Amino acid sequence: MMFLPQLRGELHKLFARKRTYIGYVVFLVFEALLLTLWVQVGRDQFEALAKRNFVPVDLLSSSLTATYWIMGFSMFLLGSIYFALVAGDIVAKETEDGNMRMVLSRPVSRLRILVLKYCAVIIYTITFVIFVGVTGYSMAVFAMGSEGGLFIWNPDMQILAIYPDRDEAFWRLFLGACLMGVSMCVVSSLGFFFSCLKIKPAAASVMALSVFFIDFVLQNIPFLVNYKHVFITYRMGNWVYVLQEQIPWARITESYSILMGLNITLFTIGWMAFQSRDFKT
Amino acid sequence: MMLKVQNLTKKFAGKDALKGVSFEVKRGEIYGLLGHNGAGKSTTLGVILGMVAAGSGEVMIDGVSVQKDPRKALRKVGAIFESPAFYDYLSGWENLRVLVGLSGPFDARVAKEIVERVGLSDRIHSKVGAYSHGMRQRLALAQALLPEPEILLLDEPTDGLDPEGIKWFRDFVLGLREERGMTVLFNSHLLSEVEQMCDRVSIIRAGELVYEGAVNDLRDDRPGIRLTATPPEILAEVVGRFEAEVMPGGRWVFPEETRIAEVVTALVNAGAEVSEVTPVRRSLEDVYLEYSSQSQP
Repeated sequence: MMFLPQLRGELHKLFARKRTYIGYVVFLVFEALLLTLWVQVGRDQFEALAKRNFVPVDLLSSSLTATYWIMGFSMFLLGSIYFALVAGDIVAKETEDGNMRMVLSRPVSRLRILVLKYCAVIIYTITFVIFVGVTGYSMAVFAMGSEGGLFIWNPDMQILAIYPDRDEAFWRLFLGACLMGVSMCVVSSLGFFFSCLKIKPAAASVMALSVFFIDFVLQNIPFLVNYKHVFITYRMGNWVYVLQEQIPWARITESYSILMGLNITLFTIGWMAFQSRDFKT
Repeated sequence: MMLKVQNLTKKFAGKDALKGVSFEVKRGEIYGLLGHNGAGKSTTLGVILGMVAAGSGEVMIDGVSVQKDPRKALRKVGAIFESPAFYDYLSGWENLRVLVGLSGPFDARVAKEIVERVGLSDRIHSKVGAYSHGMRQRLALAQALLPEPEILLLDEPTDGLDPEGIKWFRDFVLGLREERGMTVLFNSHLLSEVEQMCDRVSIIRAGELVYEGAVNDLRDDRPGIRLTATPPEILAEVVGRFEAEVMPGGRWVFPEETRIAEVVTALVNAGAEVSEVTPVRRSLEDVYLEYSSQSQP
């Protein structure tokens, strides 16, 4: 019964901090920069490319296609940094600052404290991804108009799809953004896990990013191409399959089950570590 | 019994931090835990609050075991730490809402009353980052008193406060005991505070309780004599004959019926050269230092 007011308190703590908004501000600037570059430099080149490949120009040069590129390019690399920073802070910073002793002196279990913090981080992650999608699309509409469908070309995942119908394209992209948000929760879970250990907040973020980028690099090594499926970042990239014309639900379900399992495992190990810790001055 | 601490042990990195600490605090009592920095006071408090896992032993708060059911046990506890850490970017009121919300529903009316009582009404909606140390301590007191604890655990709460702040804090805590029969465990190395506030006291040294009793009993009002005489062997032999008790600082405490003139005469007759005979009365501080110092008293 008390969970929701407590979660509201946890979210209040998270969103009342100015640095929580650094990521939002940077992404807004980055989106504006990408769109400006697109309109000033890229659009002509892409339209010429589209004509050569018999792709309708209005599909490639549309606000939805621009949104797809903005999210696809920026979120995975830039977004992961912010999620690792926020999640790495969420427990370790309070422990370092001494707030955790105040919290633990209340009649509340450590599990409840961690569940509240984890939920806050997950909400932050998903809403952040949706924020980037919505603001990216709004800016794109402002710069390019709302007309046009969606053109997807992703050689890594072997996807080529064309959606002339704007409504279908919009909902596909929206669903993709939601799944991308779920994918990015893995970075947050990594940050959260390290934050539960007896380390500094910055170290928790760096450790989470290290795991994420090492996985990403390994996944892209050519001689490991047959083992792509074992890498977290490959599974995280599976959101893009909802943009395939025939959605491979079995593959998506498998990947997201693995990611969910990983999130639960990271939370559980983090909780066990946190539970066994002594909190002193 | 409001608080019962039974045979606590704890090791940090293989070193004993607590070695069988036991004491009891009665309902409505103000109990002081005295000791040097690193003696084990904060560790004891950490175990009582469930923040530090004891190696063995148990803490009961009003009959509920902290080790077995920490949530239930801590419902009756309010705690204040030295240099309380709040969320600086939130206002005092928001801090109260967040922290108290972890215990149960936040009652704004009761919170307002407590805030008024601790004298923070004017600044409660300001960011805590702008608070002075004294204001933070008042806010800490407010959060500890919400919702309605029966025992307050105070970990060196007056450290860093100015004399006015210390007096206010002391009067406030004594007032709580007066009005609500509040039980208080007061953890400090400030003797004057313990002396003025506590009914009973324990002295902890290197993780062990070396004294427990009433504050008045701790004072040693027996007059002592500082005797300086050479050679020291004769001094030792003569005062030994009078069954004197040796105390630190060259002080001797003789049985009540002993006349000091007789002691001095005996020393002179034995061939000693007496250079100082000074009556000395021990302060509470002397007694505390004797108990808490590394050498045995």
